[in-house]
Amino acid sequence: MHWFRFAVLVLLATVLQASFFADVNSKPDLLLILLVFFAVYCDTSDAIICSFVIGFAADLIGHTMGPQMISYGIFGSALAYLHRVITIRKIPYQIIAIFITALLAGSLACLLNFLKGEPSPSKILAPLFGIALYSSIVGPFLFLPSAWWMRIRKPGRFGRR
Amino acid sequence: MAWKHITVSRRMLFIWCMLAGFIVLLSPQNLTSKFQFAFTYVFRWPLSIGRNISLSAATRQPLRDKDMVSRDEYERLLNHLANITQQRDDAQRTIQKLSKMRNTPAWERTSFVLANAITVSVDNLRGELIINRGKEDGLEKNQFVLADNSIIGTISDVGTRSARVRLFTDPASITKVRIGNNKLMKGCGNNQAKVEMLKEKVKIGTKIMASKIPGFLDTPMIIGKVVRCEHNDQPLVWDITVEPVCNIQNIESIHVIVMNPSE
Repeated sequence: MHWFRFAVLVLLATVLQASFFADVNSKPDLLLILLVFFAVYCDTSDAIICSFVIGFAADLIGHTMGPQMISYGIFGSALAYLHRVITIRKIPYQIIAIFITALLAGSLACLLNFLKGEPSPSKILAPLFGIALYSSIVGPFLFLPSAWWMRIRKPGRFGRR
Repeated sequence: MAWKHITVSRRMLFIWCMLAGFIVLLSPQNLTSKFQFAFTYVFRWPLSIGRNISLSAATRQPLRDKDMVSRDEYERLLNHLANITQQRDDAQRTIQKLSKMRNTPAWERTSFVLANAITVSVDNLRGELIINRGKEDGLEKNQFVLADNSIIGTISDVGTRSARVRLFTDPASITKVRIGNNKLMKGCGNNQAKVEMLKEKVKIGTKIMASKIPGFLDTPMIIGKVVRCEHNDQPLVWDITVEPVCNIQNIESIHVIVMNPSE
């Protein structure tokens, strides 16, 4: 696992998400796409670390810190364990994985935000659904350049450690 | 070496990471916001570039006649007119009440801190800006923020060199406005706010003024306009939806109102 390249990729996605996509209502979540990418293409231990780090990066550009770190960490780790059983190699499976992960992680983040005392908007489902849909459409196309940058030559299931 | 043989199980790794996550979650906001401000400060240059690219990608209609002004300029002048008109009406009422006392004009006790927006986040779930001014420039929490001569929000968090502005359309925002009496306007995301339980119908297009708040705003100022007025669940009361009177997505510079600045 090339951690320096990982850091550069996450920082780039964070800056793009905060600047380019900040004031768009329906937008893909680049950090969520990276979460699924690393959960699928890295071994489990690295995927757990990557999930929490990506969640921390998402919190840096969010409103409060903590909810996305926990939600991304939980669902990224769960996806990494799931990938050991069911290979998420084909594009349709990747689309489904991104969509479900976006919905679940977004819902848990909103719940943790609410428990932290932050008022939540009246309509959450519609924007979450929009983000999940856009991310699942765009996501698989970003997997190949991400795999090239991370020098992952044989994407697939890794051996158990 | 000994450290090469130390292996951590996946379960322990996950537990440690969850513990770190809960520590971050339960830490006070004024501590964790320092990380956010530090990130914004360190990466302010690429963030500004990204924002400028997205702004320039937005289509703008060219002016057809040299005597015409742009839409943004028109709205800025309209807001200025609404504020001046309201100040004149207030001044006339004050003169009538206290004709023998000297009255300091509202803005003589005020200074304005000019700031640039580093990031603008306006979507269904939140509405906030990060600006490049902070405690060093005299900013404090709850100070009002102007753009195009209209109130857009208040300072919600202040760092040393940057600050977070919570727009009045943010779901966490509650602003006192004048509609007859003072009412509370609550943000509902998606660049809108609502005032609920009004006894009378309000005409669409009506300008909404933010109420005076001693120490933060000495004169009412325009904050939004009514775009929808509909019945509540109860048929005898009305709910109005308010939108900003300036184009928040295209904001580049804002002014923070600092009352009674220290010399």
